[in-house]
This record gives sequence, structure tokens and C-alpha cells, in this order.
Amino acid sequence: MEKEFTAVSIPTALLKRVEAAIKGTDVSSVSSYVAKVVQEALSKGETKPEVFSQEDEEKVKDRLKALGYID
Amino acid sequence: MKRKFLIIGLDSAPSEIVIDRREEFPVLRRLIEGGAHGKMRSSDPPITIPAWMVMTTGKDAGRLGLYGFRHRTGYAYDKMWIATSQAFKERAIWDVVGDHGGRSCLVSIPPSYPPRKVPGNLISCFITPDNEKDYTYPKELKAEIEAKFGPYMFDVVFRTEDRDEILKEIYAMTAKRFDVVRYLMKTKPWDFFMFVEIGVDRVQHAFWKYMDKDHHLYEPGNKYENAIVEYYKYLDGRIGELLADAGDETVVLVISDHGAKRMKGAFCINEWLIREGDLVLKATPKKGATIEKTPIDWRKTKVWGWGGYYARLFFNVEGREPQGIIKPEDYEKEREAMIERLLAIKGPEGEPWATRIIKPNEYFAEVRGDYPDLMVYFDDLYWRSAGTLGYDTLYLRENDTGPDDAVHAQEGMYILFDPLHPASRRKDIDITDVAPTVLTALGLPVPADMKGKVIA
Repeated sequence: MEKEFTAVSIPTALLKRVEAAIKGTDVSSVSSYVAKVVQEALSKGETKPEVFSQEDEEKVKDRLKALGYID
Repeated sequence: MKRKFLIIGLDSAPSEIVIDRREEFPVLRRLIEGGAHGKMRSSDPPITIPAWMVMTTGKDAGRLGLYGFRHRTGYAYDKMWIATSQAFKERAIWDVVGDHGGRSCLVSIPPSYPPRKVPGNLISCFITPDNEKDYTYPKELKAEIEAKFGPYMFDVVFRTEDRDEILKEIYAMTAKRFDVVRYLMKTKPWDFFMFVEIGVDRVQHAFWKYMDKDHHLYEPGNKYENAIVEYYKYLDGRIGELLADAGDETVVLVISDHGAKRMKGAFCINEWLIREGDLVLKATPKKGATIEKTPIDWRKTKVWGWGGYYARLFFNVEGREPQGIIKPEDYEKEREAMIERLLAIKGPEGEPWATRIIKPNEYFAEVRGDYPDLMVYFDDLYWRSAGTLGYDTLYLRENDTGPDDAVHAQEGMYILFDPLHPASRRKDIDITDVAPTVLTALGLPVPADMKGKVIA
């Protein structure tokens, strides 16, 4: 079994910079901001090739909806 | 390879038809009377994707990192991706066969688009957008098949209420698939052959209410009462031809990926979450609006859901979702509280439900990919889940996305027939038992991470 969340350490100075950066924005917490930035950084290195064009993806999604697999 | 192995995949076929009504299917009956047969416990979740891949890799959904046809892209609110063949990284039966110099023929096993290089021949499945695409391996196989049989039929159109038209298309698709399979069987080298007939699933979804006396929309003496069983009889005959082509010593496995049963209705999960105060919208949705296209007030929303044959629930967590509000230290408490509330949900007449709930990160030994926070099977899957909005009720008696009479059942069926050792025995199995069984029958070593047992 894996726990959904775990703690990491960052320098307090960095924490304060993040707190200042998110003040007045939509971002709800330091954790949210850090998670978002880390995810974005990781995604940049993980580009998956596009299997479907936009049009083909819509076609397949419509089919799956009509078949009841997704809504 | 000393032996050959053929898997005839009948998507969604239940033991209640194939095994319990065997008297009506002479070929299948012969296999049952000479082989191991019974129920096959499908994957969690018991959905076409990932079930066929759980079966052929011997790994569960958590290890595969796949929980259905679509998945959230990370923790994004409105980005999703469709599972294709590229999403499967684990080695399957045919990879092991190839490692030992054997060849395979693989036809329409979901998901097999885009077609991947395999040691043998492959035709892709119903997530292929259209016939213009390359859908075979090797690439040249497409022209070879289309020259003899015309355009391959991946699936039938399920947008119409015209049941006669649907039935005609299902038969046309199945006939062509069996013709193509027979052709490949006779002209290509193979040690392992596997195909999936999706027509079984489609005929059941379209005609279950006409056959099942317990379905709330059943009408006695209707025109389509025998449509499903007549289709199985047709399949039975075509399977008989295939067995003659497959060779006298070929081990045969007839199997489904999960079962089927009557649909009682669809439970509107997001409507319920709205009423519970967990999901807050910014605007009133039109009837049938999808959650993706509805503006949500994320700063007030704790949970939202996806529909389908089972429900997925996602929690809006600080430090994970972009505008998460549940504190990470409260996540487990919130999940437990939600589970209690979900288990308390009753049917439209106050009838108790046998709802089953899975916490993926606890249930699977290893959990990968974009998994939901909760997987919910309302009333043992009898009630599918509607994620769309704008209804004044929590209970829809029809599918929210179109006509659909049947839902999935956790257990499918199997018949394992070895012509060199005929012996009838009733034995229920798990879906992960298939891969070790096939490899052992072929005299090949079973990889240590395939956890299932060989069917004895």
C-alpha cells in the first residue's frame, strides 16, 4: 500500500519566496505551487508522441461515449 | 514450440449464456464436456481496457497503470488522454513467445492501435479512428486483407435506435472477422493465435432488455427476444470451422474479459456530489452537460466524478490539484467519510445497494499511472454511473449517453480445451491465471512477475 502524500524538505528561504509569489493569486498553498512547478518540469522531459489528431481523438471519444464507456 | 495455442476472445460473454445454455451451442458444448470451464474473475476494473491486457500480461490494473479507456492527464482538471497500445509497457504472452522464436497472430485485441511491432502479425482494434490509418503490423498486411475482404470492420455504429440495422452490422462485422481470422490461420505461421470478437459485447448492449425477463424494460413476446442467443449460435458454428482450421493438437481457450448483466439504471454521481455540497458549479448546466464543459468553482469543490460502467471519484487536494482545497493531512479522513456516505446510498425505491468501493493506492500492491482517488461500483455494477449534469433526479433508467441495456459483471467465463488431454471439470479462475497457463502449455517459462496460477 502506498500513502498518497509524503513530505519533502525545501529551504525556508525558498518557502518564503513562494509565499510571496502566490500572494493574491489563485494558488491555494505553497504545496500546490511546488507540486504544479515540479509536474510541469517533469512533463517537459516526458513528451509522449501524439497518437490521435484532435479530430481523430474527438471521433474516438464520441464512439466511446455512444458505447457507454465514458460520458 | 511443441504445441500451438488459440485464444478465442468473446468480449463480455457471461457464463450464464455460454456455459449454462451449452445445450444450444453444440461446438462450445463439446469443448465444455472435454475441458476445464467456469467463471473467470475479471480485473478491477472489469472493463475491456484494461481487462484484455491484464489477461495477456498477467499484471493487474495498478501495475499496468490503466483504469479504463480514459485517464486524467496528471492532476489537471480538464485534460484527459485515451489509452492506446502505447500505454501498455508490460510484456505480454506474445512477447515471451517471440523471445523463444515463436510467432503470433493477434487480431483486434483492445487496445492495439496504433499497431505495434510484434513477433508475427497484428490487426488493430476498435479504437482505430478509421480505415485510412495504418492498422496492421506489418504495414503491408492491411492491403493484403483489404484486397481479399474489403475494408476491415473494427466496430459497429451505436448511435441509432434502429435495432435491425445494428443487428445486420454486427453480423457483417463478425462474419468478416472470422473470415479474416481463418485466412490468417491458414496462411501465416503461428504458435499463438488470439483474437477478440467485439460483436458479443455490442449485441448484448443492444438487445439485453429484449432477452432478460428481469430487465425493467423487458416486454414478453418481443421481436428481438432471441437475437442474442441466435448470435451465439452463429458464433458457435463459426468457432467450429476455426477449430478445424486450428489443428488437432492446438490447445483452445474460449474466454471473455468480463461478464454482462441487466442494467438497472444510471446513478448521477455528480448530481449527488452537488447535492452533498462537495461539487460546486459556477453556472446552471443544461441537461446532459459533461463535467469537462461545465464551469466549476474549484475553490469550493472537494470532489468530482467520472461516469461509465463504474464511477471514478477525484479529490481536490491542496498541493496536488491546481486549486486544491482539501489539506493533505485531511485526505484520508475525507476519503473515509466519502466512502461511508457512498455506501449509504440506496436505490430509487429505498432499496439497499451492494456497492463496492476500492481505494486504488491501498488495493493494488503497486499503483502506477493516473489513478482515481476512489473507484465505485454502484450496487455491484448493476447501476452504471452518469457523470453528466442537469438532471432533476439522481436515478436515470437509461444510460445518459445513449441506449444501453446491459452493464458489466465482475465475472466472465472460460473454457480451456486440450484435445490431447480431454477432461471435463468445473473450476473458477482469475483473469491473471491465463498468461501463465498459456505459456506453460507452450512449454515456455513463466516470468516471475506473472502472479496467476496455471489452470490445472
